[in-house]
Amino acid sequence: MLTLEAVTKRFGGLTAVRAVSLEVRAGDLLGIIGPNGAGKTTLFNVIAGYYRPEEGRVRFEGRDVTGLPPHAIARLGLTRTFQIVKPFGNLSVADNVMIGALTRLPRVAHARAEAERVIDLCGLGPHRYARARALPIALRKRLEVARALATRPRLLLLDEVMAGLNPTELVGIVDLVRRVHAEGVTLIVIEHVMAAMMRLAQRIVMLHHGEKIAEGTPQEIAHDRRVIDAYLGDEFNLAEA
Amino acid sequence: MSRLAPDRWAAVAMFAVAALTPLVVRDAFLLDSVILILLWGALSAAWNVAGGYAGQVSLGHAAFFGIGAYAAALMSARYAQSPWLGLAVGVALSVVAGALIGYLSNRLKGPYFALSTIAFAEVLKIVASRWRGFTSGSEGVPVPYRPGFWTLGLGHVAWLYLILVVAVGCYALQVYLERSRVGYQLAGVREDEDAAEALGIATRRRKVQAIVVSAAMTSACGSLWAQYVGFVDPSHVFSIDLSVRFALNSIIGGIGTALGPFLGSLLITSLETYLRATFSGVEASFTGIYLIIYGVVLILIVRFAPDGLTGIAGRFWAWRARAHA
Repeated sequence: MLTLEAVTKRFGGLTAVRAVSLEVRAGDLLGIIGPNGAGKTTLFNVIAGYYRPEEGRVRFEGRDVTGLPPHAIARLGLTRTFQIVKPFGNLSVADNVMIGALTRLPRVAHARAEAERVIDLCGLGPHRYARARALPIALRKRLEVARALATRPRLLLLDEVMAGLNPTELVGIVDLVRRVHAEGVTLIVIEHVMAAMMRLAQRIVMLHHGEKIAEGTPQEIAHDRRVIDAYLGDEFNLAEA
Repeated sequence: MSRLAPDRWAAVAMFAVAALTPLVVRDAFLLDSVILILLWGALSAAWNVAGGYAGQVSLGHAAFFGIGAYAAALMSARYAQSPWLGLAVGVALSVVAGALIGYLSNRLKGPYFALSTIAFAEVLKIVASRWRGFTSGSEGVPVPYRPGFWTLGLGHVAWLYLILVVAVGCYALQVYLERSRVGYQLAGVREDEDAAEALGIATRRRKVQAIVVSAAMTSACGSLWAQYVGFVDPSHVFSIDLSVRFALNSIIGGIGTALGPFLGSLLITSLETYLRATFSGVEASFTGIYLIIYGVVLILIVRFAPDGLTGIAGRFWAWRARAHA
């Protein structure tokens, strides 16, 4: 479904992503982990069209999307959420989600109905008339997911939707991610919350200094020496996770 | 929502009062005031399409106003053609200029965009002042008065209804922007361009469209203004004072709302007309006092109601609804 061929992204002298290749199949739930500055978000920005890679190609469903603007890629069915949430702050939750739905459903009434469905799916029902900027962070993260979902993506990139949440909120969002996946949306998830990642992801890719240093099942990753050295540390125990 | 919201009622009432004015009064000064309130309101609504709904705050909309004013004035004064033809030419030129400004908006953000629009209007002002062979330079262009609709030589009452139609049209376009797909997408662009892109909105194209439509409307109103006032000179029609006025009417009334520009225009235009009439004749030293009062009102609004008069009204309505509940 998504193929990265030796993608490299540089900022001046800094290589943020170095020759990363990746294969995502329809129905996958792929996790991406790595220390801060490993190039995870940069990789998302390249896939979704926000950055043009210096080298390599990005293919989505057999089509070369390298260099296409983000809106064109989103219309093909590949969209993302933002780590630093970007709600349409002055608009209501319902309008936020409806603007997403308008991409597939040009008629406002249809988009409104679709937005209602997605809002309920994401557990935002009681907040539909609230101004987006008035929501607490946990709900703003949900709003990011809801808005992206309303565009009916086939592949959705979730950038740290769990960061900064308390344990109760975490359970809720993990549940939401599972539900989205169950709806048939292929997911790539960036997350620092290892416990959640280990339970959620079918496959995990580890980035370090912009390079892919490991790929495998959560079990394989947790026992990979390079991953432990670079990221998890010796104290990490899969049983605790 | 099935029932009409209070702000829609306010707009209907405002336009109805304007429509009924000529039936009650024939006083030229009063009719002139109503015409100017409507015309400045329509111009601010045009600005609001780009500055309010799309969030592209321009301080150079006098450029489009001036293009429209000159196109109509030169067409009737120099070529003895219908100013309507000039209006069409002005709109066409403004569409091109708007596309250029729209392109700038994709390169420059916020204050940098606003500064570049100021520069754009200033350049046109210099061109109009120096190109004496074509524009008569800073002497300006007197517009000949030829009675008739085709030549736009109209009486006050006819002008009032013509401008009223234009104003209602501008209002209707804004209402459309509040309810349509394009309008919602523009709101997305205004709130966060990156997020809008992720949702499949072609943000660059939408911004250019908003600015082009705004420019065309501003230009058309500029053409009508030139015919109504009867004189065009570069230092006025391309002035930053005008650009600021379009923006301020909207900001004072309520930026990004359909009613806001007209409310702002009602307050500012009538205040200005009243203060000018009251103070200018009495003592020469008071001539500029309306500017001071104008400034104070502005400071008060921006300090205490940054969301404008419609914002105050909205809070009052919410408070009353709670009090009754």
